[in-house]
Amino acid sequence: MENLKDKKILIVDDEPEIRLMIERFLRKEGFFRVFTAEDCASALSSCRRDKPDIAILDVMLPDGDGFSLLSSIRQFSDMPVLFLSACGEDEDRLLGLGLGADDYIVKPFLPRELVLRLMAVLRRVYSSPVTDHLTVFRLGEQTIDLDSAIVRNNQQELPLTAKEHDILVKLYENQGRIVTSDALCQAVWGDDSYGYENTLMVHIRRVREKIESDPSNPIHLLTVRGLGYKLLVKENQ
Amino acid sequence: MEGIVRILRRFVATTIIVSLFLLIFNFILLGSLVFKEINQKPSPEGVVKEVAESVVMEEDNYIIGEQVVKLLQDNQAWAMLLDDNGHVQWDYHLPIDVPRSYNMIDVAKFSRYYLMDYPVYIWVHKDGLVVVGYPKDSYGKYQLNFLSDWVRTLPLRLLWLLLLNVTVALLVSIVIGTRLIRGIRPLVAGVHSLAKNEAVQLNTKGIFGDLAQSINAGSAILQDKTTALKTRDEARSNWIAGISHDIRTPLSMVLGYSSEMEDNSDLPKEQRYQAGIIRRQGEKLRSLVSDLNLVSMLEYEMQPLHLKCVRLSVLARQVVVDFFNNGLGNHYDIELVLTDEAVGINGDEKLLLRAINNLVQNSVRHNPQGCKIILETFLDKDRAQYHLIVRDNGRGIPQEQLSRITELPYSLNRRRSIQQGHGLGLPMVARIAHAHHGRLNLSSDPDKKGLEAVLEFPLQLKNKTGE
Repeated sequence: MENLKDKKILIVDDEPEIRLMIERFLRKEGFFRVFTAEDCASALSSCRRDKPDIAILDVMLPDGDGFSLLSSIRQFSDMPVLFLSACGEDEDRLLGLGLGADDYIVKPFLPRELVLRLMAVLRRVYSSPVTDHLTVFRLGEQTIDLDSAIVRNNQQELPLTAKEHDILVKLYENQGRIVTSDALCQAVWGDDSYGYENTLMVHIRRVREKIESDPSNPIHLLTVRGLGYKLLVKENQ
Repeated sequence: MEGIVRILRRFVATTIIVSLFLLIFNFILLGSLVFKEINQKPSPEGVVKEVAESVVMEEDNYIIGEQVVKLLQDNQAWAMLLDDNGHVQWDYHLPIDVPRSYNMIDVAKFSRYYLMDYPVYIWVHKDGLVVVGYPKDSYGKYQLNFLSDWVRTLPLRLLWLLLLNVTVALLVSIVIGTRLIRGIRPLVAGVHSLAKNEAVQLNTKGIFGDLAQSINAGSAILQDKTTALKTRDEARSNWIAGISHDIRTPLSMVLGYSSEMEDNSDLPKEQRYQAGIIRRQGEKLRSLVSDLNLVSMLEYEMQPLHLKCVRLSVLARQVVVDFFNNGLGNHYDIELVLTDEAVGINGDEKLLLRAINNLVQNSVRHNPQGCKIILETFLDKDRAQYHLIVRDNGRGIPQEQLSRITELPYSLNRRRSIQQGHGLGLPMVARIAHAHHGRLNLSSDPDKKGLEAVLEFPLQLKNKTGE
């Protein structure tokens, strides 16, 4: 993980204060190879000269827009790019992402948010796939391994069916939060999933039989009446 | 097109009725005007009959009555009585050039035509033949001869006459009508296009040229106004978008440094607390700016809609779950009453989610003491509208504010009231409903307590637009 902080970052923004602020935050977070540029021309020359590993681009620049800058960069480099824009419209966002940007952050932003998203992109692009972790968590007595779709306890290993696996993944992604039955159905059966609520109940019961010690009185996979389900994961156990 | 056929049908019917009426009227005129003076009263036949009846033998002399004499005088006529041998037995003012004796051939000749150019009329008398002569050139005598076949088939022929007349009238009216319609059709199309606010450019030649010119002028004015209105709306919306854009960069700095100070453990607690206040206010400003932008885009119909089939019940559930997940206090009680869940409307999921969220947020924010909130969805009885109701039993809104609460804040009509929010929430909901061809109805019944917000959406827009 530490080597991510070695990555070279290019910041392109026409506002000197913004450049200064972002650079400051990044240095504080431990990044030390930070370059800045104020327009497309200097950004392009910096790209060729410094060979940054990731770029944070503003959309509105004095000599062009970030979208065309991204296209120019793409002609010689496949480095990940984040847009940081004051244009929050859906169209701009979609245009940016459609051009191959890795993320699109709308100003005003919180520094923590920027750093987290930057790290996420860096991890996705530069981390070796091995470190991209198996999702294994404990629920009381059982250990749930989402990658191999297996529930383990002291005595045995129980395999999870594909649907049960999908349900658990969705619940685990939103652990501690209520997930509506609509969202669960959509995660399992896709967009046109109306009418699967009863089937979902059956699957939930089967999941409980595997992960709960007393399936009739669940303590991990809770029903929130009329709304959906909630998975409680106590990490410290 | 249907309208044009209707016009043509009426035109033809009217023409036929008019021509029939004209035919009947002509017959009446023929009888009353043309043939009125075909002969004067009394008719020659009448006169001769009267003369014949009044000529009587009295003491070897024929005499006639005073009245008959007067009648003959009035008609400037003369009279005579011929016996069986053709000799004049009696006469009255017999002209000198008229012979006093006739043979059978003479009688046969004048009985049909003229006697020495005098139009004469005859009547049988018991002693012979009474002849009454009128002055020369006073009457024309014509002979009418008909085949009896002809007379028998006369009614049929008259019927044919009538039918032919009707046919000609029909043909003429269709031809004229079609030509007229051909002239009118572009005008009709033009007026229809005007109603749809489309640009119209008609050919100004032909009999309806001035009308076409007026329609063109009307269209041009309409288009100009639409363009001007659109330009102005665009300018306004762009202005707000520009301002919100320019606010974002300085706001980034405010948020960035304040949150950095808040997290800085080297600073005293007091300063970090104050930095937190600055950050929270900055975030408030951020949501205000983006809401303002969204409302202005909706107001000027510049917000693009990403339409798909959306089930409002799903969104309602999602909104409630989001509130619970984000730590809604226990003093709020949210109940869902969802029916007709399978029914979807054609809408923008993000915007509709935002609308429902705003309504619930509104109930939560204005009732900090806690309240019960009920979300209800149902299809109305005639299956044309889908309803979503957000109802609370909280403080409600005073009646006098209710009608203006969906107007934009800062506008002349809406007085600034003391409120926790920025006042864009309900106007945004109303505009989102409007963008979906639906509406927002707010009611606050003082008896029942609380506020009721009803969102109504037409079912499946795409049926109408034919997408």
